[in-house]
Amino acid sequence: MDNSKKEKIKSFFTGPVIVSAVVLLLIILASVFAGIIAKYDPNEVDISNILSGPTMQHFLGTDKAGRDIFSRILFGGRMTLLSALGVILISVIIGVPVGIFSGYYGGWTDKMLMRISDIILAFPSLLLAFVFVSAFGRGIINAVVALGIVYVPMLAKLTRSLVMVEKNKVYVEASKSIGYSDLNIMFKQILPNCVSTLLVQLTLDIGYAILDLASMSFLGLGVQPPTSDWGAMLDEGRIVITISPLASLAPGMMIILTVVALNIFGDGVRAYLDPQQRKLPSLKKFKKLVGEEM
Amino acid sequence: MKKYVVDKLAQYVIVLAIVSVIIFVMVRLNPTDPVSVIVGGKQTTAETVANIRAEFNLDKTYFEQYLIWIKGIFQGDFGTSFQYRQNVTSLIMKRLPVTVGLVLLSSVIALVLSVPLGIITALKQNTPLDTGLSVIQLILVACPPFLTSILMILLITIFTPGVSFTGSFTNFNEYMQRILYPSIALAFSMIALTSRVTKTSMIEQLNSNYTLVAKSKGLSMRQRVLNHCLKNSLIPVITIFGTQMGVLIVGTVLVENVFSLAGLGSILIDGVKSCDYPIVQGIVMLLVFVFITISMLLDMLYAVIDPRIRAKSGK
Repeated sequence: MDNSKKEKIKSFFTGPVIVSAVVLLLIILASVFAGIIAKYDPNEVDISNILSGPTMQHFLGTDKAGRDIFSRILFGGRMTLLSALGVILISVIIGVPVGIFSGYYGGWTDKMLMRISDIILAFPSLLLAFVFVSAFGRGIINAVVALGIVYVPMLAKLTRSLVMVEKNKVYVEASKSIGYSDLNIMFKQILPNCVSTLLVQLTLDIGYAILDLASMSFLGLGVQPPTSDWGAMLDEGRIVITISPLASLAPGMMIILTVVALNIFGDGVRAYLDPQQRKLPSLKKFKKLVGEEM
Repeated sequence: MKKYVVDKLAQYVIVLAIVSVIIFVMVRLNPTDPVSVIVGGKQTTAETVANIRAEFNLDKTYFEQYLIWIKGIFQGDFGTSFQYRQNVTSLIMKRLPVTVGLVLLSSVIALVLSVPLGIITALKQNTPLDTGLSVIQLILVACPPFLTSILMILLITIFTPGVSFTGSFTNFNEYMQRILYPSIALAFSMIALTSRVTKTSMIEQLNSNYTLVAKSKGLSMRQRVLNHCLKNSLIPVITIFGTQMGVLIVGTVLVENVFSLAGLGSILIDGVKSCDYPIVQGIVMLLVFVFITISMLLDMLYAVIDPRIRAKSGK
């Protein structure tokens, strides 16, 4: 028994998962300790030293305003990761309860909540975020809230399908016969059994949130200057792309690296939890299809 | 089948109506006074303000404004832009060729490349070729369209300096030249996803019982794949393509921004930034309309292809 558990844990640590976990850990540490690692203030303008290539002082060179790109990457990473977490947090706070109620009660509650989800899904996701921003103004907080709400239906549908499977199991019946309240059964009995699958999806969703937030910031609807995240840095750097490619390539590579690592890690956790799902495509867009089938 | 179509159409009309209300209300939640957007910071008398309010129907109730907007849409009139003082319909028509061209061309590129790619990776499972292509797919999925565009511009300027690929166009040749590179950039993120889905569903079909029967009857690999498996494995691909349409439509906004093309995206984002309601509500409504219509048509398309779907919801 003990041995088989060890085997199982061992099977989780495959090569790609270890590499992606290390990469993610490094990225998280770098943005947490950005203040200590960075040698320069990310917003410090130095007109006498613009667009320098990589030098000993400036590891990745400087951008069009003479700001140190490496320091900006560190602080931009902090901004990017925090906002992506914010998006996920908002979608969890709304989406998970909606999914639980919908799946547990079924009937009228379910129909209404799912109709609302369908309406939100009728918008291409970023387009709805644009409309939100035009209603409440530009800024990173509004972009985070907008994307958080845009992400709700996907998560709610996933939670709903999980709850619909769980609610017919014996332990739920037992809880009912002891006289537990519906709220207790939903959040204390059923939810813990869904958490692992939800966590996998959330890991992948953080990746999508990073991409979507980068798109918003790139268009100038997200983070506002002088603060910057990776998306905004890409936009700042693209004007000088031919003179100093690093100014936009560096944040671009960081986005790709982070999202790829998140995807591999999420897939690894999924494979560990459910080896049968190993071959399924893991993408959010495909979830919609799967969600309807369940 | 008839009931299925009627149900779908009813749903489609209801969703469109609700979406139009949401868009209308949302753009008006912004506290900025439309008159200040229209006059653009110039000094105005109370009389001009009143005139402007009357001209743009701002003196009417929101309910009346909504009716005017909807009535206008049916007559092909999206109202007048605050900033440009021009009819939104003519602004849209002028910019539509770029957006439509980008969406169509990138869909074609994506489909033409990703379906064969998916089939090849399904047939060569677990070979170095499959692994290599999977790694590329993984990176492409994580690569937002604006990043692909920036990389593309960098590559073009390095390898073929002097080629003009941005800015305005005067004839069809130039038009194709302008939209070719952005379309390739846009197609890349589609290719990753679609080829992955093609591969998964192709493998599923290859392992199915009917393929085994076909094999035991002595059909060659080529016949099995092309005559038997391909049609069945394309159903999930159509689905994913429908949902990806939304990503593609928004993608044009990002890509045309990088390539400085005059499409719908640039005036949409400009409108969002400067609270130009008529532009924002008009373009968003148009894009959502296109997106929902494509989804609905695809729904019907696979009801035609796959009788099981028809039967399930036809009762």
